[in-house]
Amino acid sequence: MPLYKYVLRRVLFAVPLVLGITVVAFLIANAVPADPINANLPQSALGNERLVAAFREKWGLDQPLHVQYLTYLGNLVQGDMGVSIRTNNPVFDDLRQFLPATVELATVAIFVGLLLGVTFGIVSAVWRNSVVDYAVRVLALIGVSFPVFLLALIGLTVLHAQLGWVAGPGRLGFLLSRPPHVTGLFTVDALLAGQWATFRNAASHLVLPSLVLGLYVSGIIARITRSSLLEVLYTDYIRTARAKGQREHAVVLRHGLSNALIPVVTLLGVLYGNLLAGAVLTEAIFAWPGIGRYAYRAATSQDFPAIMGVSMLIAFIYVVANFIVDVLYFFLDPRIRYV
Amino acid sequence: MHMSAVRPASVPRAFLAAAVALFAIVGSSQAQAEEVIVIGHAEITEAYDPAHAFNPTSGMVNRVAYDTLVTFPDADASSIEPLLAASWSISDDGLVYTFTLRDDVAFVSGNPLRAEDVVFSFNRLKNVRAQPSFLADPIDSLEALDERTVAITLVGPRPSFLAELANTAFSVTDAEVVRANGGTDADDAAEADTAMSYLNQNSAGTGAYRLSSWSPQDRTELVRNHDYWGEQPFFDRVIIVNIPEAATQRVALVSGNIDLATDLTPDQVVALEGNDDIGIFLGPGRWTHFLLMNRDADIGGPMADPLVARAVRYALDYQGYRDLWAGSVTPGSNMWIGLAGAFGQDRAMGRDVERARELLAEAGYADGFEVTLQYPDMTFAGVSLSTNAQKIQADLADVGITVRLLPGEVQVALEGYRSGQQGFAYWFWGPDKLDPVDFLEFLPGGKVAGERARWMPEMADDETMAMIERAYQETDDDARLELFTLLQEYAQEHSAFAPFNVPAVQTAFRADIEGYVWHPQWGLDLALLSRSN
Repeated sequence: MPLYKYVLRRVLFAVPLVLGITVVAFLIANAVPADPINANLPQSALGNERLVAAFREKWGLDQPLHVQYLTYLGNLVQGDMGVSIRTNNPVFDDLRQFLPATVELATVAIFVGLLLGVTFGIVSAVWRNSVVDYAVRVLALIGVSFPVFLLALIGLTVLHAQLGWVAGPGRLGFLLSRPPHVTGLFTVDALLAGQWATFRNAASHLVLPSLVLGLYVSGIIARITRSSLLEVLYTDYIRTARAKGQREHAVVLRHGLSNALIPVVTLLGVLYGNLLAGAVLTEAIFAWPGIGRYAYRAATSQDFPAIMGVSMLIAFIYVVANFIVDVLYFFLDPRIRYV
Repeated sequence: MHMSAVRPASVPRAFLAAAVALFAIVGSSQAQAEEVIVIGHAEITEAYDPAHAFNPTSGMVNRVAYDTLVTFPDADASSIEPLLAASWSISDDGLVYTFTLRDDVAFVSGNPLRAEDVVFSFNRLKNVRAQPSFLADPIDSLEALDERTVAITLVGPRPSFLAELANTAFSVTDAEVVRANGGTDADDAAEADTAMSYLNQNSAGTGAYRLSSWSPQDRTELVRNHDYWGEQPFFDRVIIVNIPEAATQRVALVSGNIDLATDLTPDQVVALEGNDDIGIFLGPGRWTHFLLMNRDADIGGPMADPLVARAVRYALDYQGYRDLWAGSVTPGSNMWIGLAGAFGQDRAMGRDVERARELLAEAGYADGFEVTLQYPDMTFAGVSLSTNAQKIQADLADVGITVRLLPGEVQVALEGYRSGQQGFAYWFWGPDKLDPVDFLEFLPGGKVAGERARWMPEMADDETMAMIERAYQETDDDARLELFTLLQEYAQEHSAFAPFNVPAVQTAFRADIEGYVWHPQWGLDLALLSRSN
């Protein structure tokens, strides 16, 4: 199958998926047995019928559910995600403001996790059942099972407050001013503006949170890499490679790893989505003004347009991440090309 | 030729001159080093526009970015003091308030303060129909009598009006600047006014500071207003960073990243005692924790009986709650403890298990009964409602009442509370307005009593209802004090509520920070802070 046909098929699959997500997200957001009036107007304004009626009318809460949904869908198709009840800003603008912080952290974290995880996985597989293997497996288990927010707090208390090895909470030193906005990624924007001190500061603030999130990711990746590599190392073509007299590191890294990494690539798409969507606690602890905090606040105040916006964004990121993974498959796994 | 002859001598000289200049610059900048304070704060605002914002974060910022006509003393709400209004008078029927403005006040734009600005700001507050707009509902009309005199006519007598005017929602804004940025005070302001985006990034007030930037959920910056009409604040710049987690605020404070943490929990503050780098403030806050006992027998069951409600008030171990929450006090009624005439701990109820049992027997429950306690499953301002609920369960077990705990998700529980469907519930209340009339919410005819506890006017005697009526109208301070004393005594006997604890507010700061005062209206007055050397 040629690439374009493959890509087109993937894109077509994504359309009903996204549509389905809008329905599910809309129903769940509306199924919460609470009235956004209570969450968004102060107690003392609730008795004021004029204010309550104005609020209902403004946000379309006086319309039947299916009308609300169709209106939303119609607007969404035109790129309009509505206006947040809570912030009064277009949801699109809010997302654009909060997403870069999360993307910056998640991207660095996934690289840290990948680096650590694959290294752990290889070491574990090559020296299987040795002390090193057990040590790495225990570390991976801790990474997966230890609550991330606790790891974050311990990191802040010990590594930052007591030892002073890493920077503290926030994306940047509190006294520093932000680099001029281009991408919203502080490290990139600082580089673009040639502000080295700001870049170093922003990078140092990424160290601890990305290590904490990365450790979690690495635990999962290490386990998959290990089992997948072990499987590969006992296949015929590896035996052939060894028989040809290739050096062991070439056998493991070139022949073994490139095939063992296919399930890891699959996992990356999901993990990256998880990091973007599920970093609420980490963001709160590191005072990281990202999309997780925004989603949490949207949910607790029944800000329907914002809840829908975040849901759509996360779904979209999952779809894109998995689309990229699918395309990578095309190159990694030759079998796909011949189906 | 000429050039090369000069160069050998001039290069070191130029270098020297540059070095001297550089040292001069460094030296002078050190001499006038900018004073900056960094506040760690869990930001909860969605706006700084005074007509839209209604929460602690915006209260703290707008307190120093704007001024109101009148205000409270630095630390309590015991009196009304002048601010932008130099003086005022109230008409005999209590309907018309006439304010005379100071003549030495200018906005950060340089525009002088005029009566027209007051009219514009209050009309805009009313007409944008946003969260705090209800505060302007009592206003019937506004009129600028001359440049410095403004008359406010109310729809009815309202003894609490001056106290309400101290709310930052009544910040006086620069009409010219707000209009230039899309603002309007017309009837259609809810749709036509577009000044919020400007006012969320820039203040247009007369305060000690000027809002210079806001990155929502991230940071807020204020800079000194050099032309401020009052006393200049100590700090040139205030940076408020959003740190949602209390644990992180603690780490940031201990490591010196921030100078003051506004949201530490009581146990964290206790843990910081003895740290020489840290100063601590601990004092009663603005939230009264109370039990609600629904007077509708179909909903409240045994709890609907006034005798049972009274027994519950005798059954609670008030000292125990004070021991649980450091710095907390026991209130004597549902009237917030910091208001003029409120019953404090000296007039609070005490535990009397025998009395409680007698009352239960009198009500026909000598063998006790079972009841479900509903409450929101949350920790509010550092106080775990679950911990208190468990203590309530234990306290009531001592008098024979078996309590089943039913914690609920906050929004869901709130729905049941606000619709009056909870028979026995645990909630907390902070005064909407810092005036004794707020207490009337908890008496027959009041919203909390009627809508949430179904304690209706027909359940009270005529004499009490007449007192309550008068309390809504009376503006004379002495007469009010007498009325509210009687009403609090009445509540201790007959109320459908059992107020049991006012937890402390606690703030920790670097030891060199001075001037911290907690206020129930704006929380923290940034203009009062300074740094010792």
